[in-house]
Amino acid sequence: MTLTSVKDPAVSEAPVSPPKAAKPPQDRSGYLFILPWFIGMAFTIIPFFASLYLAFTDYNLLNVPNWIGLENFAEMFSDDTWWQSVKVTFIYTFVSVPLSLAAALGVAMLLNRGVRGLPVYRAIFYLPSLLGGSVALVLLWRYIFGLNGIVNAFLGFFGIDKISWTSDPDHALTTLIILHIWTFGSPMVIFLAGLKQIPSMYYEAAAIDGANKWQQFRKITLPLLSPIIFFNLIQSLISSFQTFTQGFIFSGGKGGPANSTMFYNLYLYKQGFEQFHMGYASAMAWMLLIIIAAFTGLNFLLAKRWVHYDN
Amino acid sequence: MLRTAGLTGLGLAVAACGRGFGGGGSEAASGKIELNMVWWGDAFRAQKTQAALDLFMKANPGITVNTEYQDSGPYKDKLATRFAAGNPPDLMMMRMDSLREYADRKSLLNLNDHTGIVDTTNLSQAAASLTKVGDAVYGIPSGLNAIGYIVNKTIIDQYGVTIPDGATWTWQDLATFAKEITDKSGKKVYGTLVDPATLANLVVYVSQQGEDLFTADGKFGVSEATLTKWFQMFEDMRKEGGFPPAGFVETIGSSPDQSYIAKGSIASQIIPSNGFLGYNKVSGGNLVLLGIPGEATAKRRGTNIGTPALWSIAAASKHPKEALQLLDFLINDVEANKAMGTTRGVPASTVVADAIKPTLEKDDQVATDYLIGLQKQTLVAVPPYPKGASGIQDELTAVAPEVEHGRLTPAEAAKKVIEAATKALSQ
Repeated sequence: MTLTSVKDPAVSEAPVSPPKAAKPPQDRSGYLFILPWFIGMAFTIIPFFASLYLAFTDYNLLNVPNWIGLENFAEMFSDDTWWQSVKVTFIYTFVSVPLSLAAALGVAMLLNRGVRGLPVYRAIFYLPSLLGGSVALVLLWRYIFGLNGIVNAFLGFFGIDKISWTSDPDHALTTLIILHIWTFGSPMVIFLAGLKQIPSMYYEAAAIDGANKWQQFRKITLPLLSPIIFFNLIQSLISSFQTFTQGFIFSGGKGGPANSTMFYNLYLYKQGFEQFHMGYASAMAWMLLIIIAAFTGLNFLLAKRWVHYDN
Repeated sequence: MLRTAGLTGLGLAVAACGRGFGGGGSEAASGKIELNMVWWGDAFRAQKTQAALDLFMKANPGITVNTEYQDSGPYKDKLATRFAAGNPPDLMMMRMDSLREYADRKSLLNLNDHTGIVDTTNLSQAAASLTKVGDAVYGIPSGLNAIGYIVNKTIIDQYGVTIPDGATWTWQDLATFAKEITDKSGKKVYGTLVDPATLANLVVYVSQQGEDLFTADGKFGVSEATLTKWFQMFEDMRKEGGFPPAGFVETIGSSPDQSYIAKGSIASQIIPSNGFLGYNKVSGGNLVLLGIPGEATAKRRGTNIGTPALWSIAAASKHPKEALQLLDFLINDVEANKAMGTTRGVPASTVVADAIKPTLEKDDQVATDYLIGLQKQTLVAVPPYPKGASGIQDELTAVAPEVEHGRLTPAEAAKKVIEAATKALSQ
């Protein structure tokens, strides 16, 4: 007791402060809230480090892993299909993420104009995101874009010839990109919440000063919403780099036609479980982590230029 | 569908954990020996398999057999994972194209080291030769099949086209036949659809040209010229009209009811012979089963008797003796095979095949006759695919649509396949 008071006079000056044992309840509830994460973590942490080790080995699932150093990483650079999977994933990400964020922001702004029955519209627009990665939706997508599907029927109305959206290597990825753009619901809901945070007095003041809608959007909405845009951008980039289900279901697990939907994670899966190259697959997983970390880091650097925080 | 299968797998995995780790089976409280047996298939096959297993358990009261089944895709992943986790099943359906991935790594029981329990004397020559890896035998075919050619007679009759002689027709005859159907139907029905990317189709053509898909020392044995001709043949048919235009094929499912012959937009195609009943059911019931084109005029026979899968036993099984007993039962017991029918193909034992034939449905009898007939002929056997063969299948699947859409010439595609094959087999 004396030791404490010597070390920390503030304690003796504040006799009402509760003793240390009484403090944790607050902490405890905090830990309770993240308990599910800890439990999940226990299942992730071992595979996490195991895969790091396996990335440096030649491991075929059946025999003991064999240390080969950086060979797996070197092999990626001479693997044409690996490059193809990087290309597919990059095109998919860099085309669909900006477009889906733009769509999300656009719809959020429309819904923010005080429409009646907002929750209903919000739910309708959010629905596709709930289903976006689901097997049923991807299969449905195949029918919509099928040779005799409604998209071709619609185009046929304008005299455009039938396009084989799903089996032509030139169009298959486009079809999946459109699917991704359509599932803009979760960033939209976050944008909507962000838009509601912007005080209406800014717009009133701007309107009095004679700013038109476009100027208001550029000078008020975008800067004040920039932290939200940044958050959505990072989220979408990361999840888009990790796309698997869409490619797997769309191509029946093959990444076809002609590897045009061979997403990075799909190729990783095929290497690990079909070709028994689990060491190579682990190395690919870590390479993806590096790629994602690099793009996230780059975005944080660039963010200094365009993201404005309130304080 | 896939997600359901995955969830089922998860449930089963949890159940498997509950039974305790190691070996897959274990002694239950009652002192009974538990065997774990896994296979892929559908509910229909599950019903038939369970009926056979019930007979086994009745005859062997000391043994309980637990089964798990899934779709073939998730099955493959699950099996690999169970082996990796040191918890393999006792008896399993082993894909022929994965056989050497497991066998070469000493994960499967060599049946030659455990003779005396499984009676192999009645296996046909073709069945016995299928499973040899060097001097070892890592399983017994769960059923035999071969590819055959089906023609929808209703459509042919409707447009007044005559069916060629299935024993002597050539690939050129197929092209002429297919074009005639397309022309006479005004493109309502296309004459034929053969997937150039399916290894089981390619291997027949390759053998007809006098080449082996894989050489004795495990190399890719197909020449660039043969592969080019293979791709060119279908592109020519596409140009003439016998083959549907580029982009026509969209279905990803491989079940008979998803096929274009079931939809009536294709008049003929290649199928695995054990699928004849299924295809006939969904295509109006008037299919005719022919041989593969080119067999009579080729340098040598191309059609080969194969098996989609073996019954194999894990080397790490804790109850190899009981697993072998079960294997013997599945291969040689007539009643068990009557219960199972030919869902996995024609039984590998000729005695069993003859005994169950009268009990089969008419369409299954047609397919069985086709296979029994083939077994009496001199065919060129195809040994188990070497490790890395799935890489070749992947490359074929990747280049075929590029040829279809004119992004690669047949010669360029052939070159790419050979490059990929050489690389896949050297790893």
